[in-house]
Amino acid sequence: MIKTIFFTVLTVAFFYIVWINNIFAPHEKYEMPPEHRKIAMDYKYAKEGRELFIQNCASCHSVRYDALYLTQVQANPMLASLQEKYGKVLPRDVYESVFMNDLNALKESFGKVPPDLSTIYLVKGPEYLYNFILEPQKVLPGTTMPPVMAGRPEETAKIIAYLRSVSEPPPQEKAKRNIMGVVTIGYLIVMGILIWLWRDRILKKMGLH
Amino acid sequence: MEASRRDLLGFAVGGLGVLGAIGVLYPIVKVLSPSQASLAGARVEVDVSQIPDLQVRVVSWKGKPVFVVKLPQGFQWNGKRLNDQNAKLLQGQDAYALVAVCTHLGCVPLWKPQGEGEFNYPVFHCPCHGGFYSPWGDNIAGPPPRPLHVPPQKREGNKLIIGEAGFVKELT
Amino acid sequence: MIGRIGRWFNERAKLSELWQSQMVDYKVPKNLTFPYAFGVMALVAFLIQIISGIFLVMYYQPNIHTAFDSVNYTIMKEIPFMWLIRHIHAAGANFFLAIVYLHIFAGIYYNAYKKPRELTWIVGFFIYFVLLMTALSGYLLPWGQLSYWGMVVTTEIPTSIDSAPIIGKLKIGETISVWMKGGYELGQITLGRFFGLHIWLLPLILLGLVGFHFYLIRAHGITSPDGREIDKKKEGVPFHPYITLKEGAYLMGYLAVFFFFVFFYMKHFLPADNYDPANPFKTPAHIAPEWYLLAFYTMFRSIPDKFLGFVVFNLALLLLLILPFLDFSPLRSARNRPLFFAMFVVLVISSMALTILGTMPPTPTNALLGLIFTLAFLSFFISMPIISILEWGWYKAKGGSKND
Repeated sequence: MIKTIFFTVLTVAFFYIVWINNIFAPHEKYEMPPEHRKIAMDYKYAKEGRELFIQNCASCHSVRYDALYLTQVQANPMLASLQEKYGKVLPRDVYESVFMNDLNALKESFGKVPPDLSTIYLVKGPEYLYNFILEPQKVLPGTTMPPVMAGRPEETAKIIAYLRSVSEPPPQEKAKRNIMGVVTIGYLIVMGILIWLWRDRILKKMGLH
Repeated sequence: MEASRRDLLGFAVGGLGVLGAIGVLYPIVKVLSPSQASLAGARVEVDVSQIPDLQVRVVSWKGKPVFVVKLPQGFQWNGKRLNDQNAKLLQGQDAYALVAVCTHLGCVPLWKPQGEGEFNYPVFHCPCHGGFYSPWGDNIAGPPPRPLHVPPQKREGNKLIIGEAGFVKELT
Repeated sequence: MIGRIGRWFNERAKLSELWQSQMVDYKVPKNLTFPYAFGVMALVAFLIQIISGIFLVMYYQPNIHTAFDSVNYTIMKEIPFMWLIRHIHAAGANFFLAIVYLHIFAGIYYNAYKKPRELTWIVGFFIYFVLLMTALSGYLLPWGQLSYWGMVVTTEIPTSIDSAPIIGKLKIGETISVWMKGGYELGQITLGRFFGLHIWLLPLILLGLVGFHFYLIRAHGITSPDGREIDKKKEGVPFHPYITLKEGAYLMGYLAVFFFFVFFYMKHFLPADNYDPANPFKTPAHIAPEWYLLAFYTMFRSIPDKFLGFVVFNLALLLLLILPFLDFSPLRSARNRPLFFAMFVVLVISSMALTILGTMPPTPTNALLGLIFTLAFLSFFISMPIISILEWGWYKAKGGSKND
């Protein structure tokens, strides 16, 4: 009995540390004021955030998964015919070859092509993005990203809400997935119990146990 | 009493098992269903004012090549007729779509506005086995057994919309 | 009607005879413990990977320009329910390896590798090894930052052979590294070949090995947790329904835990940095192998000399393979062997510590701890012959003989 408990606790603790919360290897945490965090996590600001993104960010950053390309590219008539052929979201190598001049121009100014931000919310999280967009040099010293949103934390939060809407599914879809999860797990637990009880009955009837 | 309780449990396990199997199959079926982008391709818009008279554009509709034919004002055609199925259906239209798949063995015919072979007026000519069609797609010579298929289509101003019921209600 | 079709089929395929002989007449000990279910859980985990993989292959594109988008746009956003299948495959790989590790440790604990089951153990070792390669090749496919740089690190490991005295000059390590990648850098050729390996060749080899493993298990039957073989004529319970339904219920529990992670906690299985497309010019801040390889990584890192580090972690694998020959004691099962039990606890704790140390930065303290736990890990295997000799002594003293 003791051995069972010992090994079970050891195993559960191990997987807790490795898969859920590694208390031995903490990573940097960034702070975000709660009122702005609320804005960033609110889906209804995504639309406004998109407009803000186009005004402030789209001259350097694309969001390909939302068919939001660089301002210079958006103005290019070639984009429409490409999208007719390839769909709204252009394959990356097509996009990078056709608009190579625009991308190279950015590379000249900034040292590297400013990355596409389709999945940046998932990579960095809202707190990092908030701190980085408002004060790039503080978070990543030596970066060539200019502080375009300096002094505008509320609008930054809305832009983050937009980036979140591109990376994560909308609230209705999230709710559907949660229900799916609860139903699946509930079903499995019920099935497990039923099979166990059924087996008990069968074994009693067979005279084994 | 005991037997029926055991049966109930067995029944419950079996029933839930079937439900579980359906639960697994549902996402699998949905994953394999046609994507939004593909279903969107079932509706194609063509600006026919951009097509010069007596010329034919080829577009893709539902994965098939489709002719968009533009006829000049007051177009007359006195060619050979075997049947008038399409001509009657497309009467009065100066622009219409035809499925560009030969009804003989599936090649894509060619539009010959200057005529071809024995026909010195506009025809569709299929080079594979020598089939001929009128500008409305009615078969007039060679092996094709029936006219070219006509997709559902409607006209809105300068736009011909292929894939929606209009002057042609459904695929012939 | 269905009954008649069933009977027609059964008469020709002889399924009910097969069921009777394999499932009902096949007797197993009555006192099997929970860890005995890890085997069937591993099988189910394998099946889940195959089925989810079948659907992923329909949408994934093994091209370095479009691979990332095929996963993060087409699969995760465009096609209905594909996000779920991807979650299942990513979580499933981790669960598969976790269950295989638990299965291995259970087998060590109960001495399941002893005569006549040494071959079962050896085949199992190769399943584990091929499974690691399958996991490694699969992880490259999404072509994210961790996928790319993780593989850079992996393909650099053979170069540690070049740190060896004398044979290092032959540059065998570099040759192997370049050969693995198909060039000097990780590119389309690498992705293409790992894709092929991952989707059909390695799974096919796994299927063959697992089939052989199963045959060997059934051929010998199951030992009881206290090390005895049961007399199948007099004792034991029919496999069905005693074990089938018990393991069926356990499987439901396993799947419940699995799907909890699939729906609600994918953070570790879809790590944030892998949502960043692969960039050959920028290494991520924290790059390390996945948890299932971290123990070997720590062993490798803890030894200052690169070649020696390479030798040590290969030695660990080799010792695992030849365990049935290292432990030649007549006694079976940790239940009856206090010395073995003590060393088993050392093995378990070292493995866990080595894994966790792999997640921590390589400070001098951690390096020292890594060395200590590496030695502790190896000491389990080295102690086996010693313990065996001691136990032979006790066994003979109690009147046992070599011919028992």
